[in-house]
Amino acid sequence: MVNENLVKDVVKEPYKYGFVTDIETEKIDKGLNEDIIKLISQKKEEPKFLLDFRLKAFKKWQKMKEPDWAGLGYKKIDYQDIIYYSAPKQKEKISSLDEVDPKLLETFDKLGIPLTEQKKLTNVAVDAVFDSVSIATTFREELAEHGVIFCSISEAVKDHADLIEKYLGTVVPASDNYFAALNSAVFSDGSFVYIPKGVTCPMDLSSYFRINSGDSGQFERTLIIAEESSSVSYLEGCTAPMFDTNTLHAAVVELIALDDASIKYSTVQNWYAGDEEGIGGIFNFVTKRGKCLGKRSKISWSQVETGSAITWKYPSCLLLGEESVGEFYSVALTNNLQQADTGTKMIHIGPKTKSTIVSKGISAGNSKNSYRGLVKIGTKATGSRNYSQCDSMLIGDQASANTFPYIKSQQPNSEIEHEASTCRISEDQLFYLQSRGIEFEEAVSMMVSGFCRDVFNQLPMEFAAEADKLLALKLEGSVG
Amino acid sequence: MGIIEKIKTNKSIDNQTEIQKICLNKLQSSPLPNPKSEQWRLSNKSKLSTLLDYSVNEKDLKLDITYPKNSQSTIRLVIGDNCQINLVEENYSINQLSEDKLVKYIKEQISCFDQNENWSDLLNLSLNSTKNTLGFKVSGSEIPPIEIFSHASSNSLNAKTLIIFLEKNCDIDLLQVNLGKDNSSLSQSTFLCLEENSSVNHGVVSYGENKSNLLNSLNVIQQKNSEYNLGSLHFKFNYARFEIRIKQSEGNARTNIKSMQITKKDEQISTYTKIEFNGPNGFLDQINKSLADDKSHAIFEGSIIVPKVAQRTDASQLSRNLLLSNFAQIDTKPQLEIIADDVKCKHGATISQLNEEELFYMRTRGITLTEASKLQLSSYFQEIISFIPVSKDRWDLLDKLLNEN
Amino acid sequence: MQSKMKESDPILEVENLSASTDNLPILKGVSLTVYPGEIHAIMGRNGCGKSTLSKIIAGHPSYNITNGDIKFLGENINSLEPEERSQSGIFLGFQYPIEIPGVSNLEFLRVSTNARRKFLNKEELDTFDFEELVKEKLEIVKMDHAFLSRSVNQGFSGGEKKRNEILQMALLEPKIAILDETDSGLDIDALRIVASGIKKISNAETGIILITHYQRLLDEIEPNYVHVMSDGQIIKTGESDLALELEKKGYEWTDNFIKET
Repeated sequence: MVNENLVKDVVKEPYKYGFVTDIETEKIDKGLNEDIIKLISQKKEEPKFLLDFRLKAFKKWQKMKEPDWAGLGYKKIDYQDIIYYSAPKQKEKISSLDEVDPKLLETFDKLGIPLTEQKKLTNVAVDAVFDSVSIATTFREELAEHGVIFCSISEAVKDHADLIEKYLGTVVPASDNYFAALNSAVFSDGSFVYIPKGVTCPMDLSSYFRINSGDSGQFERTLIIAEESSSVSYLEGCTAPMFDTNTLHAAVVELIALDDASIKYSTVQNWYAGDEEGIGGIFNFVTKRGKCLGKRSKISWSQVETGSAITWKYPSCLLLGEESVGEFYSVALTNNLQQADTGTKMIHIGPKTKSTIVSKGISAGNSKNSYRGLVKIGTKATGSRNYSQCDSMLIGDQASANTFPYIKSQQPNSEIEHEASTCRISEDQLFYLQSRGIEFEEAVSMMVSGFCRDVFNQLPMEFAAEADKLLALKLEGSVG
Repeated sequence: MGIIEKIKTNKSIDNQTEIQKICLNKLQSSPLPNPKSEQWRLSNKSKLSTLLDYSVNEKDLKLDITYPKNSQSTIRLVIGDNCQINLVEENYSINQLSEDKLVKYIKEQISCFDQNENWSDLLNLSLNSTKNTLGFKVSGSEIPPIEIFSHASSNSLNAKTLIIFLEKNCDIDLLQVNLGKDNSSLSQSTFLCLEENSSVNHGVVSYGENKSNLLNSLNVIQQKNSEYNLGSLHFKFNYARFEIRIKQSEGNARTNIKSMQITKKDEQISTYTKIEFNGPNGFLDQINKSLADDKSHAIFEGSIIVPKVAQRTDASQLSRNLLLSNFAQIDTKPQLEIIADDVKCKHGATISQLNEEELFYMRTRGITLTEASKLQLSSYFQEIISFIPVSKDRWDLLDKLLNEN
Repeated sequence: MQSKMKESDPILEVENLSASTDNLPILKGVSLTVYPGEIHAIMGRNGCGKSTLSKIIAGHPSYNITNGDIKFLGENINSLEPEERSQSGIFLGFQYPIEIPGVSNLEFLRVSTNARRKFLNKEELDTFDFEELVKEKLEIVKMDHAFLSRSVNQGFSGGEKKRNEILQMALLEPKIAILDETDSGLDIDALRIVASGIKKISNAETGIILITHYQRLLDEIEPNYVHVMSDGQIIKTGESDLALELEKKGYEWTDNFIKET
């Protein structure tokens, strides 16, 4: 038997992003009703169509029931006990980064995301979101030269209202699910990306989401539009301080790819997961979906999910355009009392569409890790293909790993292939590595990252290294 | 008329038995399965209501379907046909189970029934009468093969129940044949209990005529060191549902399942399986095959549950599906739920059509497309058919599948 | 039979070693001493305990030492972790090298080599320097560079796995190498490659223990001593001609020794 205690020790690295930034914030009252929504909309000086969008979504949400089918166990959320808008107090209009509160810049510095001109990352443009609002977006001018729009969604609502009105809610309709409806009603900020026809975005774009306040929910909204023959790689990172209460994070991400366009969306999610007894942590209930609208368009999701008390997330692709391609590469690591229910939906609608799913789940401690997926081939999707592979690794005999792949085909001229397996770190493998002088912890993390190799290969370079490190940290102390 | 009223006015039920009362009571609160539940979500609602529409009063008890002549060595039993068995031979005995024992066993089973998961059994047991229940226990060695028939008569909904106890160290070959008449519904519930070191080769062949319907539920409990092999085939039903629930009560047992459903026209046939390992060292090798043609719909849902006590479980499940028409559909949902860490579990699923390369190859050798397709299909079917025990040759199953429909 | 090498200190001393797994005794008092420059062969039937002996020397966690000591360069190593033993210069060539999906062979070799170098107070090698070193060592086992980019042992043929073991031995430069049935599953050409690899790597400072069933490896590498094991004990020790005699007369012949003792 692998020494369980040692394995456990490997997983027990303290959360290092758990600090709180002491900053004066403007918060509205707790609770949710039409007036609150009107207030949010008013604070953000939104056009009427958006307020209508919000109010309609709210009406729908009120009629919906919170889903319980995922089999996740958690205390009921009191939606009237959440603050729906919280923003650090700043000057009305900020003309340059120098006017941003230094405390905020310092916060992002500490998170490894320097924003100032001198220190900013050279190859990545960053949109930094703090609680409900976007603080700063770097490299805007450089991107603008290529016609690329990268800004907070609040700004886009003002400056590019036509695009917002045309695309918002077209991929994830407000009525899609309970949390998408909630988000549509109350979303505060998020990122907006527009890549014009024929442009390959000159650098990676990145949003960094930081939840700071303990009693406010975060409801960001991201919209990415890639016009004909354009391409973009987008990265998303998340952290939150440690609170002993649960914070709700209900985001919506919509991607749209037109003819020959390609969008690559990568996430490293490291929200606070709660402590060893499962106290505190983020409830991460997110709806992410991409629409391959154009011919030969491609949307690729890759994610490394290590944080949150509960994750409920299925980045999906609607494959409408002929020969469009959807991809999903996922690593989900759960430890202690974390619960992750994640997977994807690949909906093949157009002919000759292709999708690939590679999911790697690692469960340690008393955690619960489920893959839930849907592959659907519609009647018109002739010549379509899907390949799915879902592997689970169990560490210790208290963790659970579930797979629920659901496959539906209505098109004989198509092929679907699904494979799943379960393994653990075998004593023989550990001994072999150790007998070659490799330390126990390194051996474990080597095997875990080997297990995840197929997914890490899909991540952008810097992200892959970060993900590897993150996994090693998370696992520290959990294997033995 | 609702199903509850129908059961209550069932003339063939003489007096309500204890079991019927318990089951009716359970059905009373929600007479039909929840259409949103995982087990019934894909079930065709109008077909299910057609199934329940027929009169529950038995008209024609005789089995008038021509079936292959009995071979001398086989024991043949027809449920409902005043069927009694008490055989004591030199090496073995097959004895009718006493009323007490039957009731006790079924009550135990019912106590852990779930309204949706076991709805088919609840319906069966509340509809059924003593006359249509066959229960026996088998012990000894060199037991001859056993064939058991269930059938429904035209324009009626009939329920048949079968309970078999297999005592320690005993091996049997068992073939169950469920026959559907035109415009009929059959509810068949089977309970098998395999004691230590026993082994069963179980064949289940269900085939109907036009507009026949079937709810077929199979509950197996395997004690340690037992081996259960199931080969099953369901075809030619307007609506059929085959539920397989197997529990390895202490692990340390072997289970092999090869099941197949074939749907044509606008038929819907589904297979639901749930395999639970309640102890270590369990083994499962499962394959389900579907073939869907015309406007039909084939469904497979299989769950494998491996709790913490089930260390060193070795389970594999494969779902292979052929979709032959633009209007047909196939749903498949394998599920793994694992808490033990030292296990080997894998599953796979494929949906495709006949292999074009192979077809082409055969055609370049002068074989017609139809012939080539048949060759491919027969190899697809053969794997399952060869796993069905007891006089399968007399049944010409392959021929039935390839030519009859 | 005294060898001149014995003027120096022994590398490995196994003293009256008994060990068990799951309370089942496997080794029942094994003693064996290896001096620098010596090649020992251990032969015996399947299940006689020879593979267990090699695993215990390497520190496999499944076995408990119930009695006796293992000394490496004069120090008792009974309680050292497997990686500490490896870093200090004990090498076990596995009978069935383990497959590790996803972990690249090159990375594995580099981490392993650096662990040993660190112990020897040598500079750790970066990827480029390491590639140079590997290239040189690949020659010894006649392996293609393409092996390095594959996952550790995954999808390797039997012969490739064994050559990969010898490559590791070449990189780690151990003081003592215990090669557990390195000859099994090899065709004659691969056997020659492996054998010549072992000869190139070993020198007057190193000790080698060959665990084998057959004479054919010993035709390539002549041992100084041959030990015959049965039921967890060394029942006879001789020089290389013992192996030849064993080959001729079969293991039944050795059963008599047990009766004698």
